[in-house]
Amino acid sequence: MFPEAFVLLLLVAFNAGSSLGKDNERFHEELVVRPLSGDHVNTYFQFTTRWHYGEKDNLYHTQLTPRVIAELLQQFAVKELHIGLTQGLWRYETWGYPIVEATSGAEMWAWFSGSNLTNGEVDRQWKELANVFSGVLCASLNFVDNTNSIAPRHLIRPQFMPANGQRFVRYSTLPREIVCTENLTPWKKLLPCGSASGFASLLNSGHVHNTKYHSLGLKVRVLCEDHDEENCIVELTQTANLVYDLRLFELSNNDFSLRRLFGMGLNGFCELADSSKIYVQRNEQGERFQLVPAPTQEVRSTRGGHSVVYSVYDMHEQFKDAGERLFNVAWLSPKSEGRRRNLAKPSLPPVTVHRYLLGHGQERGRIVTEVTNSHYDALPIMVQEVVPWYVHAYLHTLSIRRKPQRVNEYGRQRLPFKLLHYTPGKQRELPSHLEIGFMLPGQTSALITIDVDYLLLKWLEYPPDANHGHYIGAAIVSSQLPMGRNYTALPPEGHLFEHSFNATRPSYVLSLHTEALIVSLPTPDFSMPYNVICLACTVVALAFGPIHSVATKMIIVGRQASAPKNFVKKIFNKIFRRGKAGEEAPAEAEGAVLGAAAAAAPLGPSGFGSSRASRTTGGPSGDQPLLEDLDEEEEEQD
Amino acid sequence: MGLLSDPSISTQSKLVDGLARHVRLVCYALYVAGVAWFFCLALPEFNHGTYLSENALSPGLVYPEIRIDANRLAIQLLEELHRERKDHLSTTPHAWIAAKMNEFGLETHTHNYTLRYPFGGGKEYHGKNIYGILRAPRIASTEGIVFAAPYRAASSVHTDISASVPLLLAFADFARRKNYWAKDLIFLVTEQEQLGMQAWLEAYHDGDRDLDVSKAYLRPGNLPARAGSLQAALNIEVQDLEIDHVDVRIEGLNGKLPNLDMFNLVQRIMAREGIASGYKQAPRKKRRHSQSPFEQNLRQMLTMLASQSSGVPNGNHGLFHRYRIDALTIAANRRATHATLKGSPGSAAVPLLKAIEGIARSLNNLLERFHQSFFFYVIVNNDRYISIGDYMPALVALVACAFVKAYLTWSTLPVTNAEQETPAGLVREQEQEEELEPDSEPDKFELPYGSVLIYLTATLLIGFLCNVLPLQQYFLEIPMGAAPLTTSVLSFLSLIGFILPFVVVLPPGGLELLHVAFLLIYGCALIVIGLLNFALGFFAAVLTVPLVISLETKEENSRSTLRNSVRLATLVMNPMMVIYVIVLAMTFYQFPELSLQKIMLRAATAAMDASAYGLIDSVIYGNWLYFVICTIFLPLWIICWTLALSKRRDYADYLDFDESPSTSPQPKVKTN
Repeated sequence: MFPEAFVLLLLVAFNAGSSLGKDNERFHEELVVRPLSGDHVNTYFQFTTRWHYGEKDNLYHTQLTPRVIAELLQQFAVKELHIGLTQGLWRYETWGYPIVEATSGAEMWAWFSGSNLTNGEVDRQWKELANVFSGVLCASLNFVDNTNSIAPRHLIRPQFMPANGQRFVRYSTLPREIVCTENLTPWKKLLPCGSASGFASLLNSGHVHNTKYHSLGLKVRVLCEDHDEENCIVELTQTANLVYDLRLFELSNNDFSLRRLFGMGLNGFCELADSSKIYVQRNEQGERFQLVPAPTQEVRSTRGGHSVVYSVYDMHEQFKDAGERLFNVAWLSPKSEGRRRNLAKPSLPPVTVHRYLLGHGQERGRIVTEVTNSHYDALPIMVQEVVPWYVHAYLHTLSIRRKPQRVNEYGRQRLPFKLLHYTPGKQRELPSHLEIGFMLPGQTSALITIDVDYLLLKWLEYPPDANHGHYIGAAIVSSQLPMGRNYTALPPEGHLFEHSFNATRPSYVLSLHTEALIVSLPTPDFSMPYNVICLACTVVALAFGPIHSVATKMIIVGRQASAPKNFVKKIFNKIFRRGKAGEEAPAEAEGAVLGAAAAAAPLGPSGFGSSRASRTTGGPSGDQPLLEDLDEEEEEQD
Repeated sequence: MGLLSDPSISTQSKLVDGLARHVRLVCYALYVAGVAWFFCLALPEFNHGTYLSENALSPGLVYPEIRIDANRLAIQLLEELHRERKDHLSTTPHAWIAAKMNEFGLETHTHNYTLRYPFGGGKEYHGKNIYGILRAPRIASTEGIVFAAPYRAASSVHTDISASVPLLLAFADFARRKNYWAKDLIFLVTEQEQLGMQAWLEAYHDGDRDLDVSKAYLRPGNLPARAGSLQAALNIEVQDLEIDHVDVRIEGLNGKLPNLDMFNLVQRIMAREGIASGYKQAPRKKRRHSQSPFEQNLRQMLTMLASQSSGVPNGNHGLFHRYRIDALTIAANRRATHATLKGSPGSAAVPLLKAIEGIARSLNNLLERFHQSFFFYVIVNNDRYISIGDYMPALVALVACAFVKAYLTWSTLPVTNAEQETPAGLVREQEQEEELEPDSEPDKFELPYGSVLIYLTATLLIGFLCNVLPLQQYFLEIPMGAAPLTTSVLSFLSLIGFILPFVVVLPPGGLELLHVAFLLIYGCALIVIGLLNFALGFFAAVLTVPLVISLETKEENSRSTLRNSVRLATLVMNPMMVIYVIVLAMTFYQFPELSLQKIMLRAATAAMDASAYGLIDSVIYGNWLYFVICTIFLPLWIICWTLALSKRRDYADYLDFDESPSTSPQPKVKTN
């Protein structure tokens, strides 16, 4: 799916920046502002740190690159890592395609490569990696484990130069994750200048979280020359993608400015940055705005037959003079427009996706992914779905139906699969993983449906707010576009936004995220009667335990071993062998059944546990009293 | 030998014997107790004050932000809409609504659907709904709330509610500029009353269904956009911007109700905004009756049950309940006189807009789907309710009559009688004797299980045919209206049921066995119906239980006046007759000025229409009423009629049983 030619390009880009020496670490900050249709404004921050560290031992001495990233490379065989923390949903129909893709909630995937890696080792490293970034970003990534991770087969391609060794990939999403200030602050701390100066000073949580869409991204990749582990570059890209809704500002007109969007102007640039530039899109929706101050530089980028004009503000230029303190850009709409809203409908991007749940009731349903191709020609489409274990998917019900784009009802026409990869799920252990590939004819919608059953969970498996429902993560739909309309993503070999200018390629790899879903699993009424039933059952089980142990235990008459003569040993025995002593007591009483029952009782009301302990006589039962105390406490609370 | 007929636990207790002698008394006592319990529920001691169970709702926590400019916008939109209505007399101004939604910044879509009307040769109707989605800033389109307003064309026969759409749009414009929404808001304008709503909901939840074009009646198509799982819905029917009071309508399809929390929420917020609002709210002047609270409560309960019992929703909200979306309608009525105007007309709708905002923001707060509080309740007063635990005993007492009678009838069946007379040890001998000389005494026969089973199956088959026959392609092609077609099919099948007991005479013991079976089926059916739709089950029980109690199959006094009156009552209780009588009563109530003959005639056509509507409702909306009447009540009535007639073979007839051609063969079924 991925052009192999890109590896060559990657090498070219790599060589251009490779001059090992003092000047081997560079930091760039970029801000892209794109007015979107429907009175929305997209602001995209990209902070790129590129460090030609050479061999692995150099990783101990970090400068601009955060220490955690360097340690990451020492500890794990990770070659590429993506983390996205997103609130909201990118609306492809009205906003076009974003510069970086992300799904709502938390998303994470990583490529591992190295010698002697096994699947089990990768699973272990993956879990640890998630835990590390859970701490670094204050996100719930620690919930990433085998029950929600998959190893994508076709859809996710590596963006590093794969060495000859094996490579492994893991992918996971946490759709329930809510992104907030607590994620933004640690994310900003990874920047060389922090939030003190530079573009990051614009990211104030009060304003960032009032947007319609905000997505924090973190991308790490390691590029090594000629598969040589001694000559490597680590590239850390931090992105913040925000969409502002001008209507929420309750303005009398459509004017806006950096100050309006972020609450303050720009106070300079990060002194550690090699470049610090603002790109403002001037065509399409940006055409009607007048910029104040007028830009000094303009760039025209033609990519895949589609031209975009950007005005560039170089902060190094702006703050050249000592007197400059604050910098602000204002977008002024023409006066004649007045209060009139921008109602122009944007042209539909070539591929759009939606996902929804059909059927009603809490027993079964259908997961539906709808892909629409509004291009005139057929496009290859790949869909990756992760169905969590609490939803049973039935592969035999998988079908792709098609309809012409303009018709609103799906008929019986089907599309054939070109590719199908399915890993069945396992209850409480593995999610179902499905990858489908097919050709979607032009001007056609495809409806991919799969029937699912909802599982009744165990008592303790329901999350708090059980009636809120359970989440099913978004599907990823990937395609290759023949033209660059609406396409703004960075080419895989580039690392700056300006690398996407004039980056014409034979095809453009597009990957879209659908909506996440909420399913209402059958949920018991967690009110008093249910709790009473659960507790009563527990109490009955506890009460039954000793009886069971008496009824099933064989009573053996034995003589007590001679008591230790040493006084200290005696006490030691008394303290640590209490459980055992309790058991031996009936032996002394020559094994009456009643005696055994009485002896079993102090062993704890944790019935089955005690019977198990008594079967393994002589085993270390030192922790038994602790357990029993806990149980007693629980009972008292009830 | 089954549990009940085991001699060791047979009914040889004095208690049972004593009770069996007074079956009727016991049953009537239960009946009276049930009805009395129901009446007691209207007393304040027996019902409870409403409260909000879901804390997340916290109504009135936020200060309403909607201001008079929204009202101004609503007035302006209403004027524009009135101009549009002049051009669209019998259609919906889709373009205008869509343009307004677009202007306010909603993601606007249209939904087309097709109805294939099955009767009279089959016609196709096309409809179109407009909806705009406000994509909430705080969520990734996983949950949504629906705000719906039905649009009625100017030529519609129903009350004009054209002010709903402007009000909805004014609220949408306000809501679009707020960033606190944590659920997508869908603003939906439907047309063609409930049909549009049904089509939209079906498209939302079953949009991928590949329907057989020749069989499906409603083809909803698919929706171009969705907003995740719908949590709640509010349907707005406003007659005018200047309102007098708000009627909160809750009864949904098949008598389902929204969560009581939702009703309470609306009540509280309406009260806070100073709007006279309530369940079955009537204009102010009419409420000056000096009724006692008991009478008022009882009246309220009965009206609620009456509107619930038909299972027809009294607003577009009712169709949501099937998808477990809690929904209700706020129907604002026009202010009749302008003399009592308090504020200026320019701010008349502000309280209503504020109330809608308050409801929306409370629903926006919901973390979970409505699951607390009650889904089964009867509203006694605007702030008092009866929960299912309190009202079910009334129905259970009524239904218990059937079960008690069934047990006592069983314990006095002829065969068990015979066993009672013989000591337990001699049972085997007795049976052998019976086999040897089966014709010795008619009381001592083995029970004819087989023929009773066949009889039951036959009656159920008639019920099944009622469901299936009117929709057969053969009948549909007859150029006849839906009403006469349905009625003729139903009458024909009822007639078969009426004749059946004259043609088929059960063997001895059969009637008694049929009686027991009837009582059991009747009791089970009523309790199930009562659980699903309490109103229907309760009314059916109140109406029929006395008749069922007085049914008797004994041979002795089969010509007494009591038996004859029971026969007459059974005849009247025919489902078709009951429908006619109800319609007649309603016609009489509505048009008291007409002459009796005219009323009877008009009621007859109305009843025919009613049966056709019932069928259409069941086919398109999934209303159970037609199904229940046809599949349960009609067969039960046929059995009841059989029992009331208690046609027996004469003894002489019985002797030459083998020659008689009209009877069903008597299978040899062993009781042990």
